[in-house]
Amino acid sequence: MLTCRRFLISITIFLLLFFGCKSGTPQLTFAVGGASNEVEYWERIVAAFADSTKIDVVLLRQPTDTDQRRQGLVIPLRSRQPDPDVFLMDVIWVGQFAASDWLQPLDSMVATGDVNLADFFEPIVNQVDTYQDSLYALPVYNDCGLLYFRKDLLVKYGLKPPVTWQQLIQSADFVQKNERVTNPSFFGFVWQGAQYEGLVCNFLEFAASNNGGITDSAGRIIVYTPENIEAADLMYDLIHKHKISPPNTYTEMKEEETRLTFENGNALYERNWPYAWALHNKDGSRVRGKVAVALLPRGRKGQHAATLGGWHIGISKFSDSKAEAMMLLKFVLSYATQKKLALNLGWNPGRSDLYEDTDVRIRMPHLGVLKNAFEHAVARPTSPYYTQISEILQQNQNAALSGRSLSDEALAKAQREIDEILQRYNE
Amino acid sequence: MNRKIKEPVSFLLPLIFFIAAFLLFPVLGTFWNSLWQDVPFMARRFVAFDNYVGLMKDGQFWQASFFTIAFACISVSLEMAFGMITALILNEKSRLRGALRGIALIPWAIPSVIGARIWQLIFRYDYGVANITLKAIGIGPVNWLGTSAGAFAALVLADVWRTTPFVAIILLAGLQTVPDDVLKQAQIDGANIFQRFHRITLPMIKPIIMVAILFRTIDAMRVFDLIYVITGGGPGGTTASLSVYGYKFFLTGDFGYGSAVSVILFIIALTTAIIYMEIGKLRSQ
Repeated sequence: MLTCRRFLISITIFLLLFFGCKSGTPQLTFAVGGASNEVEYWERIVAAFADSTKIDVVLLRQPTDTDQRRQGLVIPLRSRQPDPDVFLMDVIWVGQFAASDWLQPLDSMVATGDVNLADFFEPIVNQVDTYQDSLYALPVYNDCGLLYFRKDLLVKYGLKPPVTWQQLIQSADFVQKNERVTNPSFFGFVWQGAQYEGLVCNFLEFAASNNGGITDSAGRIIVYTPENIEAADLMYDLIHKHKISPPNTYTEMKEEETRLTFENGNALYERNWPYAWALHNKDGSRVRGKVAVALLPRGRKGQHAATLGGWHIGISKFSDSKAEAMMLLKFVLSYATQKKLALNLGWNPGRSDLYEDTDVRIRMPHLGVLKNAFEHAVARPTSPYYTQISEILQQNQNAALSGRSLSDEALAKAQREIDEILQRYNE
Repeated sequence: MNRKIKEPVSFLLPLIFFIAAFLLFPVLGTFWNSLWQDVPFMARRFVAFDNYVGLMKDGQFWQASFFTIAFACISVSLEMAFGMITALILNEKSRLRGALRGIALIPWAIPSVIGARIWQLIFRYDYGVANITLKAIGIGPVNWLGTSAGAFAALVLADVWRTTPFVAIILLAGLQTVPDDVLKQAQIDGANIFQRFHRITLPMIKPIIMVAILFRTIDAMRVFDLIYVITGGGPGGTTASLSVYGYKFFLTGDFGYGSAVSVILFIIALTTAIIYMEIGKLRSQ
């Protein structure tokens, strides 16, 4: 009797599992992740979408960690699952996903006028969302490197915000010497030099501001150039020669470490992402109301540069409800929705026209500088094996920062290792 | 099948099942994976032993291998020395013995990631205890984790701190099997404390020492959490163990290449284990 009942129970569970997984009618699934308040807010946005279009959207909640989010998308896409239909992608995945042929081209949306590319930042659309002349994604949230500075200290010493790295070094050195009298842990300039992805972002800014970079115009990965060596030397000098950046720059400094150093009043300049703005200005911050932002300085040979971050929205090529997915895209990218995201989550809009919106500007006064920065945005390479390339760059740049090898040697070694990787995967 | 065979086999079956499910298949599966080129954004491709050929040419891999072996040798030697001293102290009859044994176990009882985090905070440049102490006695702050030698020393220190209690407990169990009357007799015969230790205690607990060394060496070769937390493999990749190096490929990169690293680590650890066991056999014969 007992075994019979057990048998029936297990059969029932099996059938439930088997048929429960199969979805009958196609439905729109939208994968979003991030902090819990962000996911909650997406709930409200898809509810508003359902109200106006009568299309129900299932929200697929992803974790906060970026690598886990990618893994959560790569698995269904590789096995050509119809869900999720729509998802958010980190800026560096768009090229990888497009190269894998996992994304639905959005050119038809441009043709029908559902989206107008003039509403977005041209460098971002060109560098990130376009792959082999087709449009595959559009930005929902833009991010890029900024220079934060203490306006009270600059006023105190009669200085102007730096436009070139040379000016930054001189003013930081001067202020550091004077501030050290009362605050021995004061440093002129903090940035991210630890061995992780953030180092590549910082390096790209130093390099691009000196007319260097990681990719050439043909999309090849070229790091061993005189401009890049000069940029790497500058990074080394900030720590070891000018001594305006702390010695733990290359061991411990990530975003949060630099933010806290700056927020505790221990730095004049800080390189960080826009998220730090709200935190610097919240209650309890020692630098509240004393912070301003500027473009990152330019080098001897180049222009201002800011490494691009952010989240872009796209549609799966394997989606079973592409028409509905495009309506959702249009809705998320609309002026009204983007404005809501900016006002409620503090997100830097994907659309460029919102940067002139009065309500948004009152809430986020730094958007003026940010808009300018996006015009100077530089993207990281969009290669299927970017992760391996980044790993090599991180390691060799970190070795150069620590003084274990010269910038020249480090970049030459990085180039050799990258070429080996490319050879291994392109045989 | 007759009953004589059937019975023992049926008793062994659950064990064989678990060993197969949790040891054999994962090992074989990893080996199978290592024969493929498996990058998330590209088609999976069978490459036979190309990953291994690539590893042989990979400078980072060699650096990680040397680091792993050096780390295991140095930290295990120190752990055995300190573990022995601790065990001898704990074996002395005193009123505090119970309390001391409890206290000595604390580092081992702390989860290793938390222990590693504690050491990372101690060595932090700006507000770590190590630098605050140095500043107090008038020596400038040192960037402990900023040089490869400093980072190596910090990792060894953290590992020794954490696993000495483990070694001590194993050795203590061994010490307690040494009969008191033999030691007493030796004392009556005029052997001093060092002679007693060298001639009686040490030979009697040798098998236990071998077990402790074996456990610790294999464990030290697989070291991951400690390094991942304290240095992340830096500065400049000089403190990446084979596990840390292989992990990077599993995270987002090439699963086949990462599997090849794991297979080699497995072979190194297995060889070490076999060598130790053979040495143990020779000694006991």
